[in-house]
Amino acid sequence: MNEFLFDMIASELEDAVGKENCSTREIDKITHSVDYYWLSRMWADRGLRMPEADIVVSPKDAQEVSKVLKIANYYKIPVTTWGGGGGTQGGAIPVCGGIVLDTKRMDKIYNVNEKSMYIECGTGTIYKHLEWMANERGKATMHYPSSLTCSTVGGFLAHRGIGVVSTKYGKIDDMVLGMEVVLPNGDIIETSPAPKHAAGPDLNQIFIGSEGTLGIMTKAQIRIYDQPEERRFRGFLFKNMTDAFAASRELLQKFKPSVMRLYNEAETATLIKKIVGVEKPGAFMNIAIEGVSELVAVEEKILLSTFAKYGAEDLGSDYGKKWWDEKITFFYPGHMMDLPQMFGTMDTIAPYDKIENIYWEMKKAIETNFPMARFIAHFSHWYEWGCMIYDRFIVDNPPKDPHEALKLHNEIWTCGVRTALANGGVVNDHHGVGIKLGRLMKEQYGPAMQVFEGLKKQLDPNGILNPYKLGL
Amino acid sequence: MLISNKSKEIIDSCRFCWMCRHICPIGNATGQERNTARARALSLSLVERGAAKLEGSIVDNVYECALCGACTKDCATGWDPVKFTKEVRLEAALNDQTPAYVTKMLESVAANKNPYGVKDIDDDLKAEIKKHADKKDTVLILGADARYIGKDSAMAAMKVLDKAGVEYTVLEDEPDTGYVLDTLIGAASETKETMEKFAKEVSGFKTIITVDPADAKTLLREYKEWNIDLKAEVITFTALAAKLVADGKLSLKKASKKYSVQDSFFLARDLEEDNTRGIVEKIGDLCEMLLIKKDTVWAGNMLMREYIPSVIDKVAARRLEDAKRMGGECVVFECVGEYEAAKKVDGNIDIISIHELIANNL
Repeated sequence: MNEFLFDMIASELEDAVGKENCSTREIDKITHSVDYYWLSRMWADRGLRMPEADIVVSPKDAQEVSKVLKIANYYKIPVTTWGGGGGTQGGAIPVCGGIVLDTKRMDKIYNVNEKSMYIECGTGTIYKHLEWMANERGKATMHYPSSLTCSTVGGFLAHRGIGVVSTKYGKIDDMVLGMEVVLPNGDIIETSPAPKHAAGPDLNQIFIGSEGTLGIMTKAQIRIYDQPEERRFRGFLFKNMTDAFAASRELLQKFKPSVMRLYNEAETATLIKKIVGVEKPGAFMNIAIEGVSELVAVEEKILLSTFAKYGAEDLGSDYGKKWWDEKITFFYPGHMMDLPQMFGTMDTIAPYDKIENIYWEMKKAIETNFPMARFIAHFSHWYEWGCMIYDRFIVDNPPKDPHEALKLHNEIWTCGVRTALANGGVVNDHHGVGIKLGRLMKEQYGPAMQVFEGLKKQLDPNGILNPYKLGL
Repeated sequence: MLISNKSKEIIDSCRFCWMCRHICPIGNATGQERNTARARALSLSLVERGAAKLEGSIVDNVYECALCGACTKDCATGWDPVKFTKEVRLEAALNDQTPAYVTKMLESVAANKNPYGVKDIDDDLKAEIKKHADKKDTVLILGADARYIGKDSAMAAMKVLDKAGVEYTVLEDEPDTGYVLDTLIGAASETKETMEKFAKEVSGFKTIITVDPADAKTLLREYKEWNIDLKAEVITFTALAAKLVADGKLSLKKASKKYSVQDSFFLARDLEEDNTRGIVEKIGDLCEMLLIKKDTVWAGNMLMREYIPSVIDKVAARRLEDAKRMGGECVVFECVGEYEAAKKVDGNIDIISIHELIANNL
């Protein structure tokens, strides 16, 4: 684009969001070019600049977002939405340049509704701030991912995030009542006055998980809950994963704990040993039960008797409490894998009749095809019908050449996710797709992909929103 | 960059970590991605790798940090972004990359002993200082903020000490503690010379009382780092006031008001002092904000308001909103600069310094 036209467009954007909320400064371009995606981090680590936006805008509400999208559509400029930048799939990286639309000025709390138990907020609100707002009223959001402090409401919605108490309270997509969305053409829409209805398909669920490709979510009503009267923890050590799966499946037919986290033998011997202090061999599992005290007492009895049937060693409450206290520590530098290591979390999900096989097949595929890679896993979000694997590969000494490292990284990912798909899993459970896994979406969905493509074509005919993400 | 290996290690650890984002008072007020320890570290890691230059907006961003240490306190691993931020400020100065607005403040410090361009102190305050010119064993250090822009806190502090019968000197030509220089250019030779000059000029006193927690932190923490021998014992105004109340030398009147304490990070995090609450509880009802004591959220200061006034106004307004939401009727400030910054915004809530609160309720 020539300098004259660029200046013309920049002045229109300044008019839309205010001069001070429109930046072409180097610092703003750099900081919006690297998210939590390993490849973007590796690129920066090698002293290379990632693709950068031409201009960064920070609108304050849906009206300003609308103006930005109308400008972008007229000039056919890519728009990449940036929330907290804490995503692992490269979904927020402006790979085609253009406009980065940072949502964090949309952080207004519009309504704390204790009668209907939700908070209405701008999607740029840092989730931890939403939690604080709920805590001030004796409530809680019950959405506690490791990125709670760094990510926005919109970021979690965009990739269908999940937190550690999901087994009882659900994923982010279970926590939304209604939303305001700006369509690519600038129209502002409301999804629905209530989340459960028979008035056609669920508009919420069309935009949740769309990763900024179909519209920009600007406002959301997020559920809040009473703080539990009591939260009890119990650590267990299973002899093997098979027993743990059987015990957990049976438990979930009886009631729903809040936390259920099963670590394979390798993670038990490494991460759990280091942070929680469990020294024994086996598969560690942490359970939390919470709610009204009388119910918690009954549920604890059921838990102990169910797990005893499967030979689980009861480690008491200390390890579980320790795990809860340190649940975010796992992800701080120095505790988490970090460069120069190459690593990735290939989380997938499947029904119980497939999940254990997927685990073994993925482990075999990674360890056989990539002998330089280690494979560790835990199972952290459970349902009556199945659960997810949080499996990770780690390569301690990846190629120094960034192009070679990129190739190896993608080969490992493709291998792992294809193995999951071949055995009944999905592309991803709760980190999303981004640019990292877009190429595999068609492999999962086959002809069903045309539904997403049709939505994209109708809503965003110029293809301005977050190009090359989600396989769209 | 000629910064310590420790700072380089911190930069490389923080560059891809957002865990402290939620607690940054500047980032929360602006909503700008650059106002995070992660963004600062990422840009500096690129400078270190030759992919960017330490100039322009990258240096500006180093000055958009309040150095409040909330991120440091929050880090489960113990990384300290304040350390590299201060070192890079010095590095920028050594490379003639100090922003013009900082240079202007440095020039004012050299000429006027304050960064605000204020040439002289208020006449009322000057008169009060004169009354305490006689040499005693104890010196009351008002500090640049209280002397030049926050005379109400300075006058109130003197009134409180007088009422309690404390004998002290206030220096007419008070030396600079070095707080401002340490903040703006870190460990520069000018900073050390200023600190050494201060130590020399107060060497005849046995006790130093600091009105401003910013000076207390500098004297108690930074001087040690620099191996500057401060012979006198340093005590904060709030610690002394609490002692005077406990010893019965100050009796406080009860007021029916709900007070929220705005903990100064200098006291709460750096010096681990919490004396204000006890005093406030003797005067009125304590109405706590959610984030207090070591978790306190900085409410701005006049130093940064010199160059990013609209940002600091937002920072202050957000903090006052925290108190209002919890039902507070008046916010009590410990730090002079924070208090003066809060005065600049219409928070629709009363505010007062701890010095004034005590002085008004004797």
